[in-house]
Amino acid sequence: MTTILNTVLYLALVVHIGLVAIALWRLWRGENVIDRLMGFDLSGILVLAILVLVSLIGRNSIYIDVALGLAALGFISTVALAKYIADEQMF
Amino acid sequence: MDILLQAIAVLAVLGGTFFSVLGVLGYVRLPDVYTRLHATGKVGVFGVVLLLVAAMAWTPLGLGKGLVLIALLLLAGPVTSHALGSAAYRIGIPMKRALRDDLAEHLGRTAPETPGLTNRTEPSS
Repeated sequence: MTTILNTVLYLALVVHIGLVAIALWRLWRGENVIDRLMGFDLSGILVLAILVLVSLIGRNSIYIDVALGLAALGFISTVALAKYIADEQMF
Repeated sequence: MDILLQAIAVLAVLGGTFFSVLGVLGYVRLPDVYTRLHATGKVGVFGVVLLLVAAMAWTPLGLGKGLVLIALLLLAGPVTSHALGSAAYRIGIPMKRALRDDLAEHLGRTAPETPGLTNRTEPSS
């Protein structure tokens, strides 16, 4: 069972790294500003998923703390940038 | 007990990877910003939350920190999607193949000034 779990975890890690590459490529070729901001947010969430997978592979819960900080900072930055784009001022 | 936790972890990781692949596929393939926003919301709400369920089952994490992170993601995902969609509507990004725009009527705008509705005059196929 441990072999199956490790196989699934490494496969999911490879798939998520490929998804980050696809999201960054799509962000590079984005068609407007909301599209690029959406790709930025999506890349942050996928990096968070990679951190959770690394934590699962090593059975080490220290990466979950990094993921917590990354989730909070990504959320605040995306909402602030969306408000800046909509109102053309931050506050 | 160990077998059960590993089975939960395997199922949760497979489900989370499925939702992440689906979200990125929608982000690449869907036609305009609003439908793409609908697809990318699934990555944060379903994909990462299922991976965190696997992490709570298999790593020595404890329920507390995992539940805090799940609650943060479940609160942050809809708020982010709503902020992005509202900003996209307000700066006038058009909708593709939209049939009607209820928000423009609600805001009291007239039809030529609405940012959406690029093909209202075209016959629907």
